[in-house]
Amino acid sequence: MNETMTPPPLDDNVITRLRNIFGDDRLLTNCTDMMTYSYDASFETQLRPKLPQVAVIALSTEEVSECVRLANEFKIPLYPRGAATGQTGGAVPVKGGIMLDLSKMNRILEIDHRNMQAVIEPGVIQNDLNEALKPYGLRFPPDPGSANMCTVGGMVSNNSSGLRAVKYGVTRHYVLGMEVVLPTGDIIVTGGAKSKALKSVSGYDLAHLMIGSEGTLGIVTRLRLKLLPLPVTRGIVLCSFERLEDAGEAVNAVFSSGLQPSAIEIMDFNCTKAVNMMKPELNLPLDNEAILVFEVDGAKEEVSSQVNRLRKVVEKFTNYIKFSDEPDECEKLWQARKLVGAAVGLLKPGGFRVYGGEDICVPISRLPETLREIHNISERYGIICGIYGHVGDGNMHTGPVVNMNNEMEMENVQKMIDDIHELAIKMEGTTTAEHGVGIVRAKYMDVEHGPAMEVMRAIKRTLDPNNILNPGKMALPN
Amino acid sequence: MKLLTAEESMQTCVRCGACRNVCPTLNITGREADGPRGRVLMARSLIEGTIPVNQEIKDQLDRCLLCSACVDACPIDVQVPDIVMLAKERIAAAAEAPVQTDIKKTAYPARTFKDYFFDHVLANQKRLNTVGNLLWFYQKSGLQYVTRGLGILKFFPEQMRQMERITPSILPPSGRKHHPEFTPRTDEEKAARGRVAFFHGCIMDVMFRETNDNSIKLLSKTGFDVVTPKAQMCCGALHHHSGKKDRAIELAKANIQAFEEANVDYIITNAGGCGAALAEYADLFRGDYHWLERAKAFSAKIRDISEIIYEKGEMPVTAGRGERVTYQPSCHLQYVMKVKDAPAKLVKGIPNSEYVDLPEKKYCCGSAGIYNLLQPNLANEILDKKMSRVKETESAVLITANPGCYLQMKLGVYREGMEDQIETKHVADYLMESIERAESAGNQ
Repeated sequence: MNETMTPPPLDDNVITRLRNIFGDDRLLTNCTDMMTYSYDASFETQLRPKLPQVAVIALSTEEVSECVRLANEFKIPLYPRGAATGQTGGAVPVKGGIMLDLSKMNRILEIDHRNMQAVIEPGVIQNDLNEALKPYGLRFPPDPGSANMCTVGGMVSNNSSGLRAVKYGVTRHYVLGMEVVLPTGDIIVTGGAKSKALKSVSGYDLAHLMIGSEGTLGIVTRLRLKLLPLPVTRGIVLCSFERLEDAGEAVNAVFSSGLQPSAIEIMDFNCTKAVNMMKPELNLPLDNEAILVFEVDGAKEEVSSQVNRLRKVVEKFTNYIKFSDEPDECEKLWQARKLVGAAVGLLKPGGFRVYGGEDICVPISRLPETLREIHNISERYGIICGIYGHVGDGNMHTGPVVNMNNEMEMENVQKMIDDIHELAIKMEGTTTAEHGVGIVRAKYMDVEHGPAMEVMRAIKRTLDPNNILNPGKMALPN
Repeated sequence: MKLLTAEESMQTCVRCGACRNVCPTLNITGREADGPRGRVLMARSLIEGTIPVNQEIKDQLDRCLLCSACVDACPIDVQVPDIVMLAKERIAAAAEAPVQTDIKKTAYPARTFKDYFFDHVLANQKRLNTVGNLLWFYQKSGLQYVTRGLGILKFFPEQMRQMERITPSILPPSGRKHHPEFTPRTDEEKAARGRVAFFHGCIMDVMFRETNDNSIKLLSKTGFDVVTPKAQMCCGALHHHSGKKDRAIELAKANIQAFEEANVDYIITNAGGCGAALAEYADLFRGDYHWLERAKAFSAKIRDISEIIYEKGEMPVTAGRGERVTYQPSCHLQYVMKVKDAPAKLVKGIPNSEYVDLPEKKYCCGSAGIYNLLQPNLANEILDKKMSRVKETESAVLITANPGCYLQMKLGVYREGMEDQIETKHVADYLMESIERAESAGNQ
């Protein structure tokens, strides 16, 4: 990690061959172009940009395959990326080499509504896919907060999910098959070369090996996705709790009542404060420790009855409750939650919101003590921090806010991030629930996985003996 | 007023990428440097001095349309156009400085113009024709002040007078007397929907005089008493964007004064570009408390004509002629003034016409001031893509809400050879026509 060694300059022959594959317009070598391919949305790349030596923009599987073949022949690191909206440095070129931009491979190739599936290229934006599916009454359910900008290819590579994972699961549950370019440049199709089946146990599930492998085992060039019908309507219940523990109790009570909310989101008092600063008209109660937002979905009558049942279950834990099954009103209530990620930066003048330790996941039963402990850590380092997340599955996004010019704070925030990750493992949880490992969480991998890590490394060596695909990530061999 | 200055704003970008999917240039090329995140990083590096001023960085930043779609998409309103503009000012200053840079030392933006005209336009006959037409536009419109000092007039051969096709027919001076200072609402038996002032703009009032006349009529028909102050001036957007901030401030002061005297509830514009500039007057007066307060009060009254009619007015009976209609928004209108769909909603309400949404209407049409002159390749790609979307709608009328967009869309229709199939219209003209059609049907 953080190697400062300059990679050897690329052979002229390599550039010529890349030019033959991609043409002049899609082969980039300018200094400024390299600068702009040096980051994703991670804090790490803000601090330490990772520059490629050349960038190419691919439009087809054949181009990707030829490019990989070339990289393998010359043993040049190759970094595939979609929209680079990741938080972990997963798509940045830590060892120089070739940046392979897949965001223009963004065609929706087929919407097979009778078979409830779609075939797409990896650069399709999640929200664009769902807009295209709407007329068919269908959707691709995994919905990360970045749905408006992230590519489905990136979602698959990181096995992303979002606030509705509590009911609908994660990206993994919606991938039926894929076309993959292997590190040798060979092209395979998983899940049956010609299959359109919705279920299959024929052979090793190679798609599921690729999902979440962060581009270290192969490059996804085509996806066959499973779709679900659009929910008819949604309802929201927003409530506030005097103590964090009450919020935890309320979540448990809802689950044991037999209700199946489509989302359960938590915001701590810092987040509430930040949201009120950004949108004073929301006027959320400030004297409480936590806010929960429940969402239910289904047919209209079903939603109204669920909203009422939910209200009754949480009533005894809360001192403030708002609810609705009207779309416009729901949208207003959801606003509070949707603004949080951006708003936490406001907690401190000149503050910069750091993504780090932002994706831990713990068992639901240990949520209250985890939340409490994160606040203690934040106080210990004197760094203000907003906590929010998908409490329904124990996944929390912490948002430390620092002043980038304050060296002391910059040093402390790194320690704070380490402590939060350690805490996650101590609480029988994981360091990352949906964002991925990349470079920022590579150092926790051995502790988290023990001997299983060696199996991961063995798989990597087998598929990619020259270590050309996204090297320097996930604590895989160097 | 904007919360942060350009310099403060550039430091808050966390590179989340929320801007990626709305950027028209990134949509065309897919290059990260053609997107807002890349531009913020490049501009910031240049402003902070971590990368040198050179031709490469200048070329990269010149590709930005400054359409503001990214600001609208940004969860924390990073002011990308302001940041890019600030970097461009630094580049201009560096080009003037005695220290050697690899940028040729000529006045900016004159240098930009000259570079362009010498290297690209004069070497290309087809493009020459386009430019000739625009020059004709500048001359005929009496807008010499735009070109004054830029020294571009002398580079044009006399014969370049073609392509009148896309320029509107200009009313003779006799038809361009000052608008009546007061136009009462048409139906005085009903209570007024408000007392408004009409901002007629400089280009609009010469080039699109009929649209301005129709706008006043339309306001009066929809229940407003309309004042058109004589003392009003150009909004100053062109001056501000070409680095002449002092002149922009003078114009702003004159307008604030003129419209204070009009004593109205709202100030109405029919050009998204002007409206956006007027709505941002406060940013010109940071630190000048007296004028800041007056500017804020002025800006708070700015409304687009469609917005005010949709929200406060009462549309009279209208009639279409069985045509299909679509709408290409103005970027300044939808992203700076935040008027997203008022024009479409008004058009939808017209009986016997069918409104269809334009796919990808979020993307700029590529007009963006003189962008289509400075970046012809990219601008044409943007326009061609836009026109393929327009064709998908199979519309007979293409509605716009800003003069720049109007000309660009007309150029697009012309380039597609579809002038006899698609009519480009300002929304005020289209609405007024549909009112008059209903009236004359009622009279028969």
